[in-house]
Amino acid sequence: MDAMIAVMNQVFEISQKLDQDSLSSRFERNLNRLAHIFEEEGYTWNNPLGEKYTDARTDCTASIAGDEGRDMVITQVIKPVIYQKKEGTLSLVQKGIVIVERKK
Amino acid sequence: MMKPVNFGIDLGTTNSLISRFDNGNITVYKNPIGHKETLASVVAFRNDRILVGDKAREYMLKDAVNVFGGFKRRMGTEERYYVVNLDENVTPVQLSAYVLQELQQFVHSGEKPEAAVITIPASFDTMQSNATRIAGNEAGLKEVFLLQEPIAASLAYFNQQQGEDHEGYWLVYDLGGGTFDVALVQIKEGEMKVVDHEGNNFLGGLDFDLMILEQLIVPEIVRQTGASGFEAEWSTPYGPYEKLYYELLYKTEEAKKELSTYASAIVEFSAVIDDRRHDFEITIRREAFNQLLEKRVKETLNMLQQVLDRNHLKVEQIRQLILVGGSTFIPYVQETLEQSTGIVVNKSVDPTTAVAVGAAYYAANKYYTPSAVDKPTEHADIDALLEGIAGGTETELPDIQLLLSFSKMSKEPEEVLLVKVNGNYFDHSYRIVRGDGGFDTGFVPLKAKFTEFLPLLPNVANPFRLAVYDSQNRELSTLAQELVITQGQYNIAGQPLPKDICIEVDDRENHTTRLELIFEKNSVLPLKKTLYREVSKTIKKGSDDKIIINILEGDRYARPLSNLTIGCIEIQGKDLKSDLIKGSDIEIGLFLSDNRELSTEVFLVMTGQDFKNVFSIAEKRISIARLREQFNDLETEVRKTVKAFNYEDNEIWAIQANGLLDELLSHKPALSKLKDKERSDKKYVIAEAIGRISQEYDKIGGNERLQQLQSEYLHARDYAEQQLPACDFEQDRLKAKFRQLVQNESLVLRTRNPSILQKAIEQLNELIWEILTNTTSYLIVYFHRIKAAPDDAFTNSGGAQTIIRMADKALEQERFFEFRQHVYNLSHLLRQAQPMKGITDFKGTGIG
Repeated sequence: MDAMIAVMNQVFEISQKLDQDSLSSRFERNLNRLAHIFEEEGYTWNNPLGEKYTDARTDCTASIAGDEGRDMVITQVIKPVIYQKKEGTLSLVQKGIVIVERKK
Repeated sequence: MMKPVNFGIDLGTTNSLISRFDNGNITVYKNPIGHKETLASVVAFRNDRILVGDKAREYMLKDAVNVFGGFKRRMGTEERYYVVNLDENVTPVQLSAYVLQELQQFVHSGEKPEAAVITIPASFDTMQSNATRIAGNEAGLKEVFLLQEPIAASLAYFNQQQGEDHEGYWLVYDLGGGTFDVALVQIKEGEMKVVDHEGNNFLGGLDFDLMILEQLIVPEIVRQTGASGFEAEWSTPYGPYEKLYYELLYKTEEAKKELSTYASAIVEFSAVIDDRRHDFEITIRREAFNQLLEKRVKETLNMLQQVLDRNHLKVEQIRQLILVGGSTFIPYVQETLEQSTGIVVNKSVDPTTAVAVGAAYYAANKYYTPSAVDKPTEHADIDALLEGIAGGTETELPDIQLLLSFSKMSKEPEEVLLVKVNGNYFDHSYRIVRGDGGFDTGFVPLKAKFTEFLPLLPNVANPFRLAVYDSQNRELSTLAQELVITQGQYNIAGQPLPKDICIEVDDRENHTTRLELIFEKNSVLPLKKTLYREVSKTIKKGSDDKIIINILEGDRYARPLSNLTIGCIEIQGKDLKSDLIKGSDIEIGLFLSDNRELSTEVFLVMTGQDFKNVFSIAEKRISIARLREQFNDLETEVRKTVKAFNYEDNEIWAIQANGLLDELLSHKPALSKLKDKERSDKKYVIAEAIGRISQEYDKIGGNERLQQLQSEYLHARDYAEQQLPACDFEQDRLKAKFRQLVQNESLVLRTRNPSILQKAIEQLNELIWEILTNTTSYLIVYFHRIKAAPDDAFTNSGGAQTIIRMADKALEQERFFEFRQHVYNLSHLLRQAQPMKGITDFKGTGIG
């Protein structure tokens, strides 16, 4: 399980770098394929970038940049949220590591 | 009756843990939220709710007037923390009680601890110890036993080394995330006590992270960018590099952990500094890290020496040094301790859980009297509740009713829960947690009416648990409610699929094709899926060979021919840019719209070609090549079945099968005349007829035939399984073969397609024959039967007699392996019908 999560984190990092350099479209198929392989093994990830961040959200560990408030969003994702599917239900196997800020 | 306490709690300054002793084993419980063993000892009083643990810690820097950590250091003092959001003071005891209550939530068995052992630092005085006991009581523990942390850690170690003599002095070196303690433990005549201790409340792993960041990473950033102002600004709260600071803090901690295993670690990140984007890859070497640590580790060594000096002890008098705390994983710490002190360093227990584990061992030998009224009270509650529901007399407990309103199915990413509360809910709170642990409201005061937005994970059932707590934060178990909201699977607007949608793929082993499910019957439209497969045969560029993607609608357990083709794509050698090699990847994207319009997109990874197609179900596509192959398959199969029915005296079935065979053969001339690019309706007429005959053929004998075949299959399977252990040669190989044959048994037994069952039976029968011919006792019987055969039963009677003599001799001398070889050779000389030749020119779909 740990090895699979480590691989998923690496793939996530690669896809982030490709995004940064606007190269994602060239590797879209490969990345989709990898996501499919992970899913077949029972793992899915969620990139929570841009999602709202609340007091009740426990799928991520956040650092708050700037002031904290009620209108916070995730502005940077260092590690994705990873779920594992077992007997039809999902369980959280890795909390996302994120940075959150107030909506600008 | 007294009961053992069994629960142990490590109530730490930065992190806490809970463990349990059970039949000699210790379980350190994991947080259901995030599955970590540790809980941050932090409490946050947010605007409308109370958070405990890691989530609370997130707000420590930015909401410092409402979030509190490190309160363990203030236990037993008059210190009060003023909470702005509550406009009142809270005590360290109250804060500790929150942490202790939260830890009890980790106990997944649902058991509610009534008593526990809680560990305290060796430095705690009577006031501090009493304060800890009170915190335990406030958290609902009726009895609290205290245990010093160094003793707990020693117990964890000693219980691993039972039976050894442990008399003498021991040192417990505890270097955690934020604090350091060293304690001298003495065992004298079986009694263990902490003789002396020393410590620093602000020395630990977090300091090491900051040192790496400050002294190794920041200077490197400045060197690479030339940004002179960076050094002054990088850690300024609310400054321009605040996001980078948090990212680096996390990545530095990861690098530090890596350095415990590897000689170097790389910290990789991108940052905009002075309006320019820079990509960094900074290597941290273990030696550089060790240099940073030198001074801090030396401080700990000085304290250790002080303890020894004060007690007039020499290092030789210390049995061992027991390591506790996550920072003792650092190799430099371990090596320096060993080299500088000369004392044996014991690393045998997990330093992060040692205190909690020791507390549980101690708890196993402590006893308490369980509250005798527990059970009857529970019944009284239920009775009272029942009376209340029945409109009977007024009840005292629990005087609260909850009315929940929510949608059980949703297509939205979140769903609103509306709760109406009746009764005396003053000072009570509620908490809602999603089953996977990704959502937790924390403790929220109960109101007459409230709503919560529940975030949903896509395409699964999302279970939530709503619990109600009294003013002491004790859960009122009779009020707990479970609710499940299913996301994405049902939609009133969407229509369900009436039949399975499948793709035809090759079953090369059996020279046929089978169906693989794409979309299951009753799934809601629209549907989308991508299949990843390999090409199962090489297709030369420019050749007539082809890949056939055949999408069918019907029953996934039936034969492909019995289903309706709703989409078909043929990719020929002529369409290819280059040769397509067997084993290369093929991606098949399928989309079925609300209007049941099928779109396919096939991508050949090797040639980089895309083939798109949209089919509406009214328009059939048929591959003539595949049709011919299917026709031949069906013909062979029906002929075989007719033969079998005649053999089994199933006259009626035989007549029916014969009738179908005649009908099938009547289409043969027309099919052979069809041209590949036939534009007439003929191919549709023939395809329709073949499909109908196939369906009719599957129905012959109905369930009775399927049942017969199922029982025949099970009989063969059981027989093979029974014979396997008696097998004298190649047992492992044959066992593996058996496992392989039966691995898809559930699919085979559910099929509506008799031929699948027949093929499975044939394979099992072949295996049985192989097992028997590798079993000496059977070979002996078989040999005597052959031996008794007349001369003309052999193709070479002279040769047969020679082998018989050799076999007899081998048998007499019990050389069974050799005997088996002779019997094999002999069997080859028997006059018998040639085995049926397999079909070798099977082309299939080309998709494996």
